[in-house]
Amino acid sequence: MNTAPRALTGLVAAVLADDGTAPWTEAVPRRVTALLDVMPAPARAAVRGAAAAIDAYAVARTGRRLTALGARERERVLASLAARRTLLPLLDAVKMPLLLAAGTERMLHRGPAPSASAPEDPPLDCTPARDWPTRSTADAVVVGSGAGGATAARTLAAAGLRVVVLEEGEHHSTASFGRRAPLDRFADLYRDGGATIAVGNPPLVLPVGRAVGGTTVVNSGTCYRTPDHVVARWLNRHGFAAAEGFGTRLDEVERALRVAPQPLDVLGGNGLLALAGARELGWAAAPLRRNAPGCRGSCQCVVGCPAGAKQSVQLSVLPDACAAGARIVTGAWVRRILTDRDGPGGPRAAGVLVRRPDGSELEILSPLVVVAAGTLHTPPLLRRSGLGGHPRLGRNLSVHPALSVAGRFGHPVTGRRNVLQSVGVEQLRADGILIEATAAPPGMSSFVLPGVGRELRRELEETERLATLGAMIADRPSGRVLGRARPLPRYDLAPRDAGRLLRAQRAMGRLLFAAGAEEVLTGVPHAPRARTPAELETLLATVNARHLHVSAFHPTGTAAAGADPERSPADPEGRLRGVGGVLIADGSVLPSCPEVNPQLSIMAAALAIAGRYVSRGR
Amino acid sequence: MTARGTVFRETMLGRVRLAGDDSDRPVRLDLLARADSLMPTRRTTRARLTGRIRIAGRADDPEAEGELEISPLARRRIRYRLGFRLEGRRLLLDGWKSLSLKRPVSSMTVLPYTLYEDGERVGEGVLRFPLATGLLPFLAGFRFPRAAEAERSLAPRWDGTPGRTEVWYTTLTDPATGSGVWLHHEVVAPRDGGPAYAHGWVAVFPPGGPAEHARFGPTPWTGDPRGFSAGGISAAPGRLRGSAGPFAWALTEEPQGPPLHTFPRWSWRHPWLPASHMLPAARARYRGTVRHGTRELRLRDAPGASARIYGHGNARRWAWLHADLGGGDVLEVVAAVSMRRGLDRLPPLVFLRLYRNGRGWPRRAERSAVGWAGIGRFRADIGLPRWRVEGRAGLRRVRVTVTLPPDGTLALDYTDPDGSAAVCRNSGRADAEVSLERWRGRWRPEAAWRLTGTAHAEVGDR
Repeated sequence: MNTAPRALTGLVAAVLADDGTAPWTEAVPRRVTALLDVMPAPARAAVRGAAAAIDAYAVARTGRRLTALGARERERVLASLAARRTLLPLLDAVKMPLLLAAGTERMLHRGPAPSASAPEDPPLDCTPARDWPTRSTADAVVVGSGAGGATAARTLAAAGLRVVVLEEGEHHSTASFGRRAPLDRFADLYRDGGATIAVGNPPLVLPVGRAVGGTTVVNSGTCYRTPDHVVARWLNRHGFAAAEGFGTRLDEVERALRVAPQPLDVLGGNGLLALAGARELGWAAAPLRRNAPGCRGSCQCVVGCPAGAKQSVQLSVLPDACAAGARIVTGAWVRRILTDRDGPGGPRAAGVLVRRPDGSELEILSPLVVVAAGTLHTPPLLRRSGLGGHPRLGRNLSVHPALSVAGRFGHPVTGRRNVLQSVGVEQLRADGILIEATAAPPGMSSFVLPGVGRELRRELEETERLATLGAMIADRPSGRVLGRARPLPRYDLAPRDAGRLLRAQRAMGRLLFAAGAEEVLTGVPHAPRARTPAELETLLATVNARHLHVSAFHPTGTAAAGADPERSPADPEGRLRGVGGVLIADGSVLPSCPEVNPQLSIMAAALAIAGRYVSRGR
Repeated sequence: MTARGTVFRETMLGRVRLAGDDSDRPVRLDLLARADSLMPTRRTTRARLTGRIRIAGRADDPEAEGELEISPLARRRIRYRLGFRLEGRRLLLDGWKSLSLKRPVSSMTVLPYTLYEDGERVGEGVLRFPLATGLLPFLAGFRFPRAAEAERSLAPRWDGTPGRTEVWYTTLTDPATGSGVWLHHEVVAPRDGGPAYAHGWVAVFPPGGPAEHARFGPTPWTGDPRGFSAGGISAAPGRLRGSAGPFAWALTEEPQGPPLHTFPRWSWRHPWLPASHMLPAARARYRGTVRHGTRELRLRDAPGASARIYGHGNARRWAWLHADLGGGDVLEVVAAVSMRRGLDRLPPLVFLRLYRNGRGWPRRAERSAVGWAGIGRFRADIGLPRWRVEGRAGLRRVRVTVTLPPDGTLALDYTDPDGSAAVCRNSGRADAEVSLERWRGRWRPEAAWRLTGTAHAEVGDR
């Protein structure tokens, strides 16, 4: 493991109030360094810069660096920093990787050793890109093996096409999840170490997966059907013809993923408290429908299910595709879609140019290229292929802005068994607010514990007593994805959506108090805790959307399909306009925000688009 | 404008890793590429590949065949697909150079490829064009022959003008049985403006027996841009197929020589003469089958030729000979008396082309027909069963005697576009004697050929 820079070591010691009494704190700096190494350079530089700046502040204040100070002096330095309200959001940003590492180390020292017993995965035909020939041909190339790509690959392979699925990430088996610590998997399974940032107001962390199975490997397994009013909007307002008969497609996807309501036995305290709170308030709430039959409550969905219960597409859809002859190439980053520009009827896709991890390149010729690189990566791929001419490509980005609120209870909430995302509170769905009880592994929640130093340490030691709720809102498509070589997401929260977020925060606080919380942690740095509902109301009156720690999930809509050629980069059948032989089959093709966790919507859309392509006779 | 083709040679060296091998093997590829157009500019051109592939210790196939897709700008790709034999297995090499402006040299010279057997991958490797030793021979080896002329001249000439006739006919000799085969495809556009119709006949001339034949048509002429096609019978580049009565045939034609214009070349392009005759390829080889009744000819490298006629109709009297003299030499003779008033009083005009040692004689086709304002023209004595042609050009003179055996001759009626009738006697196993002399102080024999039953000839009159 890498050695940590001195400034970072000092910062970790200060933030975690490391007095040498707990053995787990010792390895945190090294783990933070390892995590920073997989993050994008700007994020890495920002954290290191912040550490250096705080170290310099310590030198200016005490004449010594943080590492040379005693626990009490470090505490005083940090307290003087935290007293400045404007610095609090910055401190929170620096705390996130530290908490991630600290949570993992603490769990490793306290929790049970990772279970080695894992079921055998269904077979996949995976070949690393280094072993794939430099020149090959296929009937269809699918870029991306996530929800959309896997479904398209299965449909095309079942129709008898020779399909090659290209995946930038690697294949991780269920057994490998069981063997490794959550944070090690986190770094492998997420793009940019989970620190994909959408710049804007406020800046958002937008984590997306990168592995065979895409984000379905690291999502929570929550499977909402696309709401009827959303499907009706896609059909009638946007003219997304592939949404015809969407209910049947959703049924088929649900069967493939074995979707069912989560049984109560392993639901865990977090979910039960949410149900109890909703019952108290008379709100509609129920265990979520999930694709995890036999879920053991490992509560590690977001770093790959170690029990093999969650039916991510690499366990459910891709094995079918491979059985029908599809082949998966891993470690394959698609540099460009190749086009033949001299054929009759305008330019046509001819295949893809792929970069291997060692920098060498391979090419696959194919008359059909299905782009399912994900909402963030599809627009840059099309741009660097010379296919990004449509003015709306990359625009129309919806991201489900989300925030978390925690409640402290008088008894331990999270026990040995927990479903990560367990209960949906649907009271405010008509207003575009969906509350979901979410208990992530330590540090991996989007909820940031308040305080620094001893205060933070105390919170850390008591995390077992915290129940966490998350709310996501159906947003306006107020973002866009720029960039060619890599995506540069930009998102500005619409004023309506800012109001929805504040409303969601209030609602979650009420729910927690109704469930019996002694204290609600708001996640707002300058107004972190409230002990009564009235105090919460008073606190939140001082809060606006810029104070909130907003995360984002479920990006959609950047290559939307629709009938209007000027507004939609893809036609109603999901074919990219302006070139033949390119289908869009990921979240980017959805015409607008699906308003619920989008896995089923994306898969049903991909199924419709690939199915209609096959039935048209190609 | 005369379309030209491109022919070039390319040699590449490299390595291959065959499935089951632990190490790479050296590979050498010597290719000859023929494209039907000049080197591509912005578009994609396809070329036929033939050549030799050698894989050290495993394969040496001198008869590799395939296709080259050349598209340096439109697709930025030069793709090689080459079928070859390896220890009795049929493999396909499929690879392409991907042109990149960032790496112009390596992307133009490095060919990564994959080997397939029945669609399954059985090996892969990389070939490289050796710039240091190969560039000069490569560039110097470029040729731009009139490669497409053979195929182009099979395309129909008829432009809808009434009163025209157009013929595609093929004669060949089966070397195994000595049988002659004749396929005649004709389009007639009546002078009165009636609809054009297609007809023709097929005949087999077995040695020692009477000729058998069957007519087909008339059927309406719909036109096919590649050649003759009517009623399921076609004569297209490289392929002849059809059935008529008890006959059914399916042949492939492989041209062996350059086009041969029996009449002046300009008369084919500008149809100012009453008719013009040419051979898309002076010689050709045929493979395939010709069934007639219960018998079947299985042809393998049968020598022969296809010919084309476009004009106003048959002559008043005419004779024709195609003689494959062997060794790549061909003699083609047409002697005819025109139907046009004034011209019909002249003796037969003789168009004689001796294609020998890669050169045509007389040098100009007009020479044998009109001489120097009639002086020195070649003379013909058209008769049956024997006709003769003789003449002198430059320091050479030739004498040709053709005999149509009565039992191996087939008389067939024709109707001209103007409605008049003609009769043609055809033989697919005629005899021919050709003697060529050269003046060196006196006439000395230079070459002589005697063809027994392997010449193809006809004599027609009214």
